[in-house]
Amino acid sequence: MELTRRSLLAAMGVGTTALLAGCGGSNSSSSSTGSAGGDPADVSGDITFLCALFEGATGKETLEGNLLKTFNQQYPNINVTIDYTNYSKLNEKITTALAGGLMPDVLTLGVGWIPPFANKHAIAPIADSLATRYAYQSRVLEPARFDGNLYGLPMVLDVRVGAYRKDFFAEAGIDAPPTNWTDLRKFAKELTVRDSGGSVIRAGFDPFSIDLRQGWETFLFANGGEMFSEDGREVLFGGDEGVEALQLYIDLVGDGSAIFANETPEKGMPSSLQSGNSAMMMTDNSLMLTLLDQAPELIRDDKVGWFAVANPTPAIFQGGTIVSQSATSKHPEAAAALVEFLGGQDAVLAACAQRGSVPGMDELLTSDFVAGNPFVKFALENLDKSRPEGGTPAWMEIREKIKPTLQSAVVGQQSARAAIDELTGIAEAAIARL
Amino acid sequence: MAAPAMLHLTIWIGVPVLAAFALSFTSYDVLSSPEFIGLENYMDLLHDSVFRRAMINTLVYVFFVVPVAMALGLLIALMLNMQIRARALFRTAVFIPQVTATIAVALVWLWIYDPRSGLFNAILSFFGFPTHDWLSSTTLAMPAVILVGIWQGIGLKMLIYLAALQALPEDVYEAAAVDGAPKWRQFFSITLPLLKPTTFFVVVTSVISAFQAFDLIYILTDGGPANTTSMITYEIYKSAFREFRMGYACAQSIILFVVLVILTIINRRINGGDRGDR
Repeated sequence: MELTRRSLLAAMGVGTTALLAGCGGSNSSSSSTGSAGGDPADVSGDITFLCALFEGATGKETLEGNLLKTFNQQYPNINVTIDYTNYSKLNEKITTALAGGLMPDVLTLGVGWIPPFANKHAIAPIADSLATRYAYQSRVLEPARFDGNLYGLPMVLDVRVGAYRKDFFAEAGIDAPPTNWTDLRKFAKELTVRDSGGSVIRAGFDPFSIDLRQGWETFLFANGGEMFSEDGREVLFGGDEGVEALQLYIDLVGDGSAIFANETPEKGMPSSLQSGNSAMMMTDNSLMLTLLDQAPELIRDDKVGWFAVANPTPAIFQGGTIVSQSATSKHPEAAAALVEFLGGQDAVLAACAQRGSVPGMDELLTSDFVAGNPFVKFALENLDKSRPEGGTPAWMEIREKIKPTLQSAVVGQQSARAAIDELTGIAEAAIARL
Repeated sequence: MAAPAMLHLTIWIGVPVLAAFALSFTSYDVLSSPEFIGLENYMDLLHDSVFRRAMINTLVYVFFVVPVAMALGLLIALMLNMQIRARALFRTAVFIPQVTATIAVALVWLWIYDPRSGLFNAILSFFGFPTHDWLSSTTLAMPAVILVGIWQGIGLKMLIYLAALQALPEDVYEAAAVDGAPKWRQFFSITLPLLKPTTFFVVVTSVISAFQAFDLIYILTDGGPANTTSMITYEIYKSAFREFRMGYACAQSIILFVVLVILTIINRRINGGDRGDR
């Protein structure tokens, strides 16, 4: 079937419209039972929601103009005030809210953030029955759990995978994406194009197109490594798997087939793959929306493909947004009701459709949105390979140190082994302070 | 008249400073109550290579930005103090970076430094020079940030110097001219000494301002690559708001406070404070 931008947008639009218009689906009725139990009309309160999703006017209209209206039909006595933010400000927003004693009743958190906040009792556990309300893909709920309890519900999954230009591969006589790092480096060299002066005009691989921390973790997982022990108290990335994952960056730059960049492009900016400045890159699901908007011919002509980085274990980095409930809410029942609603099928599909993200529940596999977005389809088909970051209560401190420490090796200030050893020391010290 | 000022000083400056000092001796992650740990945060700071790096980066930034921006500010003020055409327009143009939001300034400079489509590389390419990824280079990122800091800081210094120049007594210059002193001699023997109180003021405020460089770093480099452009204020921000180490951030703030006090005292000794040589 020929895929066009129009058909994709139509599929996404129809899916979104259908779910927004017909919000009284099966899940709505399940929501109406409410975790609070009893008559939803008895649940009341003015609650706040710190939201890092539904960005922009369209998102605001989706959330406030549609979803929350449906919510208020079920819970007429709950008044929700929304504080919109984005991911780069979310952490600071939460910190200042906590410091000022104004913690929102309901908040969105990133993958890896549940253990730190749950460990400090900043968020409250939610009913474990919600874990079985939908058929969640395996691994999807893993980042929402801590110490045996469920602390949130996933709204969107934002995965990171490799993307490649099929037309550049065909020109170079390469018929499939790499399945291990040897191939990755070989292909990257072959696909690199230089001008007469030797300057790279097309990088074979652009691993710096996503955050260095997330890229390295993807390589670590692909190399069979782990970040932390199951209880989050032991650092496991300090072994050879972690060193080799970092060495891969150094080698790619050394080969001249990757060019170090301090900053990753903002979402919505043209990617190096799109502009032809790279033949392969690391990417997240926002690439699909950007391509549909800015270079739809690449999708229409089937010039872009995706792959899970492997060496040899295929790995997909699983980021995303989890909705949780504050432990200090003055209206816990109302907050629980909103968490339950936002983790429901309607809100999840709306959020995913707006961001091009991956919904983690089987019920949505057959939705028009999933069917109409090849990236999301690929991600869902390979979600068994996904791995979340974090896993320790000290994660908020450790995550900030990873990128600059890795960079010190990539720019040649120290060896990969020295950088990983330094990072291990930082992580162990942070865990020791818990 | 003094009471409101004292009230303001106590509530908005005194209390926070004392609170920061007290919290610097605690382990405080915002999520739970502060726990007294004595000098542990300060001991950790001694072994924190990133903080050390940020301190050096800040000193380098201050060392280049303050004197260069002051010299250029004075030079421009001298030129704009002369009777030239469109003087008001030039004054406005020089001052505009000062009143423009740093975020907007930084975004414009992000484009200027863009390795593929930026202005700098376009100019270099036009003249056949090799291009650079300014903000991703460990050797070029700091000079790139310093350049923006200088550019942004000139306006206020120019304005202060201009006001001071216009207040200088004309009769001294007239007497010097009668004695046959050339212009350069008048500048070094009259203008600069008479500007001493202004220079002291500009140095102190510029040093404090440069030590507080934050938003440029936040937008331009995020402290990278590999912490080569991270500054003290940026480390304080990261410790407090990204890593949830509020006690540690308070200890870092106290160190910054002490450094600024010491530098101000040294500068006062060197420059003779705000006493003029009149």
